[in-house]
Amino acid sequence: MNELFIAAVERLSRVAGVRGALLVEGETGVTVISDLREGVNETAVAALAASLFRRTAAASETADFGRLNTLQLEADDGHVVAVDAGELILVVVAEHDAQLGLVRYEAHRAAESLS
Amino acid sequence: MRGAELPQLVDALRGPIQVFVRESRVRIALLVSGAGQVLAQHGFARGYHVMNVASLAAATHASSHALAGLAGAGRWEHLYHGGRERQLFLAPLRTPVGELILVVIFDADSSLGIVRLFYENLEKEVSALPAFQDRNAKTDHGSFERDLEAGLEYTSPEAASED
Repeated sequence: MNELFIAAVERLSRVAGVRGALLVEGETGVTVISDLREGVNETAVAALAASLFRRTAAASETADFGRLNTLQLEADDGHVVAVDAGELILVVVAEHDAQLGLVRYEAHRAAESLS
Repeated sequence: MRGAELPQLVDALRGPIQVFVRESRVRIALLVSGAGQVLAQHGFARGYHVMNVASLAAATHASSHALAGLAGAGRWEHLYHGGRERQLFLAPLRTPVGELILVVIFDADSSLGIVRLFYENLEKEVSALPAFQDRNAKTDHGSFERDLEAGLEYTSPEAASED
């Protein structure tokens, strides 16, 4: 299982424009495994992305939209994509000019292989 | 940390603890010295709870420190208990004058990751406070009870009078 995690995170980290990926325990917001470029605060990304994902999932269910699959955050200088992977959340941090379609595709593929 | 220094330390810690509680969305936060002296608290309704938790935190800190040493595990980072309703986080908070102890109780509004994140911020903020730059942090074990009561009286005067 650990090898599966590592392979999924490494594959995502190789996508052009991706600054790193991490698997986070959804309930606690603690990193399970990560592959992040220097300068990205792992503790902060893991905790805040998990918190955001949980709150958005609650909002989605409250609005009768069902289970949250993907959360995509766009900011001036980059993107954060978080994908449901069962008890885990797969979080990808990408540059502003990253190929988001490919990032999302690879993130979903990785999440499916994990859940 | 003696009685004369206490008002200054408690005043200095009030802001950082308020920010920590607000940002991390925890229910209860308690900051105590290594001797169990209460330096800051948020969320306790009763004074004896503060005092009990402070003494237990000091004892747990001492035990964890000793256990980590015996196990060759170096410095201990934190203790975490994930209950069904509430979760407990206990960690040493390192400052230039010595270690304080942070006790946090939180529910589903927060998470271990969030608490750890803002605990790191709190540690940096407290370490930068002028009140924590130039002090003799040595703990006199004989003064444990006196320090404990002095802290409680200053941080929760109405609660201290219950005892």
